[in-house]
Amino acid sequence: MSKTSNHEWKTVALDSLAQRPRCGYKPDGAVCAEPTAMAALALAAHDRPDPAAEAVKQLAQMQQPDGAVGVSIEQNEPVWPTGLAVIAWQVCGAGDDGLNRFQSQIDRAIAKILEVKGQTLQPSDVLGHDVTLQAWPWVQGTHSWIEPTTYQVLALKLSGLSDHPRCREAVDLLIDRLLPDGGCNYGNTFVLGNKLRPHLQPSGLALLALRGESDDSGRLAKTVDYVRDQLSPQTTPLSLSFALLGLAAQGVDVPAEEWLAAAYRANPSTRTSPYKSAMLLLAAARDRCPLTQGNQQEASA
Amino acid sequence: MTSHEEQHSCDNNQPATTPCGRPLQESNGGLDRRALLVGGGAAALGLTAWAGVRHWLHRPEPVFVAKNQSYDGDLRRTIRDGLLATGVTPSNVGGRRVLLKPNMVEPDRHSPHITTNPAVLLAAAEVFIEWGAQVTVGEAPGHVRDTDMALVESGIADALRDGRLPFADLNYDDVGWRENAGHVSRLAGFFFPQSVLQADLVVSMPKLKTHHWVGMTASMKNLYGTLPGIKYGWPKNVLHYAGIPKTVVDITASLPKTIAIIDAIQCMEGDGPIMGTPKDLGAIVIGRNTVAVDATCARMMRIEPIDLPYLSLAEGRLGSVSAQSIDQRGDDWHDLATRFELIDAPHLRSIRRT
Repeated sequence: MSKTSNHEWKTVALDSLAQRPRCGYKPDGAVCAEPTAMAALALAAHDRPDPAAEAVKQLAQMQQPDGAVGVSIEQNEPVWPTGLAVIAWQVCGAGDDGLNRFQSQIDRAIAKILEVKGQTLQPSDVLGHDVTLQAWPWVQGTHSWIEPTTYQVLALKLSGLSDHPRCREAVDLLIDRLLPDGGCNYGNTFVLGNKLRPHLQPSGLALLALRGESDDSGRLAKTVDYVRDQLSPQTTPLSLSFALLGLAAQGVDVPAEEWLAAAYRANPSTRTSPYKSAMLLLAAARDRCPLTQGNQQEASA
Repeated sequence: MTSHEEQHSCDNNQPATTPCGRPLQESNGGLDRRALLVGGGAAALGLTAWAGVRHWLHRPEPVFVAKNQSYDGDLRRTIRDGLLATGVTPSNVGGRRVLLKPNMVEPDRHSPHITTNPAVLLAAAEVFIEWGAQVTVGEAPGHVRDTDMALVESGIADALRDGRLPFADLNYDDVGWRENAGHVSRLAGFFFPQSVLQADLVVSMPKLKTHHWVGMTASMKNLYGTLPGIKYGWPKNVLHYAGIPKTVVDITASLPKTIAIIDAIQCMEGDGPIMGTPKDLGAIVIGRNTVAVDATCARMMRIEPIDLPYLSLAEGRLGSVSAQSIDQRGDDWHDLATRFELIDAPHLRSIRRT
């Protein structure tokens, strides 16, 4: 595969995304917060500020009076995408004057994020992880899980709240949920004494949220090794994207331009999915993505 | 807009016969028994008519069992025979939208006993297509967000390609609200993917496994995978909090017409549904009533069906687990009955082994 063709897929994908930055998981689906936030980040990372601005405006329109951003324009709940909206506003809303034009939206969203907590459980032998940590759930009134926690952690970090007690506790949760040999499952470690299997997508996300964190247990370093070892040309688009972003956040770059191009071309459902296209584009720009490299606001926190 | 709070807003522990205003139509135009059981249509009938209906309600439900099956055998013939033996015919699926729902909960290519074998899925698809149905495969994997990974690891991606079958990723579909027709859990209703709501027939196609929380997972628990992750999470923890057995019954009751084709060829015992060990049974089980099908599967695993909490709750609501209520067709399940090991956990110790 030539370098030219590796470049062309990005142009095709960006043009498609730029035509409809307010997007869903499917080409004909309802506008959803997560794909729209990822589209904003991908477009911004590839110097397409106008459609990126359109995407973040959409997220502002979806914000509810209490600050929450629901999963779609049709579904105000659950509110786990709220952190994703904050990330997109932080990245795409910064002006030359140092002010963010979405600051009021960010403030209200952060308040909502800090209000939502995962349900804790009574410690027992049934579950191997620390069930007393709150972090964030997929749905209010339920237990905390890795992915919604990573999004809220990233939002807090990008908003200068890395030292907030909720952020620190959530980082503890993410490290606690890493498996002893590295990687993580969707959220459990041991259930009824059995160790669960790691997967690339949540492992990559955990690495992304744990950028700059230290871990004396060694599980973070083992997770880096796990993700790097598991990556292959056959890795599917979302797992590939999150794995590359996670590794980049940990200072590990895996040359994967051909893999990204191949992942985009391999399946029509990828090319027509705004969400998957955005994730592949974001992974392709991982060397200049604020999620992996940090930004001024985070550095000064 | 229906909020999640509204979804949790009331506790609907109502008797099974409370009318819900959701008549279910069989494809041949007649009311099916589940519709009467859960829909409460019987309440509108006169007492005289009710006597006749009651007799009809207690007709045994046909459940077809085929033994000596293998993934490289003629599964298409087995499934065709099983569907016909249980009253599912070309005339009542032709032209209908059929959603085949395999189990891809958390696949691992090195552990094929976790997920529905693609050969079974492909064979079922071929039968329904041959009969003129519009077939879609749909699943909302419960533990993994990367559905492409789940399709590849389970081998179902190859089956979709070989069969040129459309796939509906139910985790990310647009959703519609339906009232909880089961009224067992506190959930007022469910958000179902449009691909599910638009189906005329949902075919639950699980892998037969033991389950570390509820003892067994077969056609009814597999229906958790009809609910979208974007609304319920990964895992669908909302349902756990509302009670697994209760929500299994409620989801089954609230779906469009549902039948079952069980992959019981290579099964799982022990710490299912993910971490258990393979257990060969060599069977395909088919039926129109998911309660009767799951009860038969339990007996094949030497589990007393009524001791499984979700089947206990379903008894009298969605069907019956009693042997007298099941019209055994095909091979005799007694020939296949073998003990499936359950994990030794306090919450499973009340399950009697036969």
